[in-house]
Amino acid sequence: MAVPATRHDHPPSRRAAESARRAAGRSLRLGFLLACAIFFGLPVTWLLLAATKTQTSIFSDHPLSVGSFGNIAQGWSNLLTFNDGELVGWIWNSLYYAGSSVVIAVFLSVPAGYALAKYDFAGRKALLVLTLIGMIIPTAALVLPLYLQMNALGLLGTPASVILPLAFYPFAVYLCYVYCTTSLPDSLLEAARVDGASEATLFFRIVLPLSKPVIGMIFFFSFVHAWTNFFLPFVMLSDDRTFNLQVGLMMLLQSTDAINAEGGFSALPIHQPEAALAALVAVAPVLVAFVFAQRYLTASDVSGAEKG
Amino acid sequence: MTDTETAGRRPARADRQGRRPASGAESTVEPPSKRRRRLAPYFFVAPYALFLVGFGIAPALYGLYTSLFTDSLGAGTEFAPLGNWGEVLTDYRLVDSARNVATYVALWLPSMLMLIFAIALVLHARPGRFAAAMRFVYYIPGAITGSAAALLWLFMVSPQVSPFSPLLDLLGVENATEAVSANTPLILALMGIAIHAGGWILIVYAALAALPRDVLEAAVIDGASSWQVAMRVKLPMVSRYAALILIATFAAGTQVFVEPTVLATGVPGQISSTWSINQLAYYYATQQGDFGKAAALSLALLLVGLVVALLVIYRTKFYRIDRGLS
Repeated sequence: MAVPATRHDHPPSRRAAESARRAAGRSLRLGFLLACAIFFGLPVTWLLLAATKTQTSIFSDHPLSVGSFGNIAQGWSNLLTFNDGELVGWIWNSLYYAGSSVVIAVFLSVPAGYALAKYDFAGRKALLVLTLIGMIIPTAALVLPLYLQMNALGLLGTPASVILPLAFYPFAVYLCYVYCTTSLPDSLLEAARVDGASEATLFFRIVLPLSKPVIGMIFFFSFVHAWTNFFLPFVMLSDDRTFNLQVGLMMLLQSTDAINAEGGFSALPIHQPEAALAALVAVAPVLVAFVFAQRYLTASDVSGAEKG
Repeated sequence: MTDTETAGRRPARADRQGRRPASGAESTVEPPSKRRRRLAPYFFVAPYALFLVGFGIAPALYGLYTSLFTDSLGAGTEFAPLGNWGEVLTDYRLVDSARNVATYVALWLPSMLMLIFAIALVLHARPGRFAAAMRFVYYIPGAITGSAAALLWLFMVSPQVSPFSPLLDLLGVENATEAVSANTPLILALMGIAIHAGGWILIVYAALAALPRDVLEAAVIDGASSWQVAMRVKLPMVSRYAALILIATFAAGTQVFVEPTVLATGVPGQISSTWSINQLAYYYATQQGDFGKAAALSLALLLVGLVVALLVIYRTKFYRIDRGLS
């Protein structure tokens, strides 16, 4: 990078000191990031390795030793011994519930967040405060009323009783709201209006393309919200064939001795390594979604668009 | 253009001066474009508002309603506005739970917030494959939930099998039970950081990545060090994200439920089933079948979160409509 000579005309010795300082800063940053990587990465590394071990080697071997990959296949077939492979059905249910609610959540929250950020209209503040309440209200306060509501609507036990409440995701509205206020310049919208764009054209042709990063974020977080949700399916669904993965796994692991030895009295070959494998199965879709969402992080540059 | 001019250019002000007059023109008859503009926001928010009322506000109001009735076997339900609230707020267990939660939040919240912004800013100083890989690593613990998390964290605090065993040895910890009973808030806070930080790092990083590039470049050309760019330019520009994070994490911290429940499953008998306030509410609902009390305590928690949220919103002008970038 060209440095203006008038301000940075240091003698060579100072320049050397400067570059030494930069190198120190760089290794400091790298050290910090790697230390954090150990803190966040070690538990998961262990989990990954635990799935390759057997019930005895998980206790006897070094925590970070690699078992055998044959144990993964063995573990998977052991997991499938539970209720004739019910696990596979739970995975499909989870994908169905999470997928549908994510699509609805994005459809609801993106226009709402944009309108709250960029239009001054009657009821705006009320909507913001109510959304705030929706965002931070404890789940325990909503679960019973939602149950009664679904019961009254005759939806109890149906996928809709899980999908619809999951699609209401106020956090996504706030994400979009903050993104639009921070990164979407009004000048751009005004310029388009002066050029004769209607409000709908504005939203579809300008706001949506420029909001790709936040739409990626909303997709990801609402997917995680729906995929990892336990309470709603736990309360709404009673047939174990309709369970999602989280509720199903809880039932599976609690009826075996996989978590703690006093837990269950089952003869199924499901122990700690199987539980670790089940955890990996439950985590994998979230990580795939994460990689997918990362691609959208820097998909647009508003400052460039503003000039064009 | 000289360097000083580039750095001193404030896009927000320039835009405001440049564009305002166009929209400021008043006339007695409303032109169709203006009417469309007035009505448009209602179309944008209508579908969401429907869900907000149906699955947020209506159930919350019903919860409030149930909290105002006491339910006793002999007398049936009885309208007693202060019955549940009074009973809940004077429950002897609430004092312990509140103290536990306060300790947890005091340990967890400040350290996590600093870590989130430190990591996001350092990552953003050099974006690329390495930064992307690190964001991925930081996020993974947050993806492990439910019963799988119980297994994972039990092993993490068991010295014989934990990959953190050198650290546990250093602390003189002999077994998982001892580790948990002696350092419950600390272990929960570390768990909480591992589980929650990654998602926020992603959000702050995305916010930084979406900042207008010319402003950051201008600051660098002007001779600002990367530390100065981070503290004086980037941080203030993502202040609304900071407000959102503060509101959401404070509420999540005071409502902590998953971490103590998970740890209690892994290490039986060491953590009370009413360790946190939210667990106490859950206890009312599931063990006592008393939904009025559960609702009252949940709404009390909501109130605490709401007070802090409104304070943050008021102090940061979070709801203000800006014209231009800022």
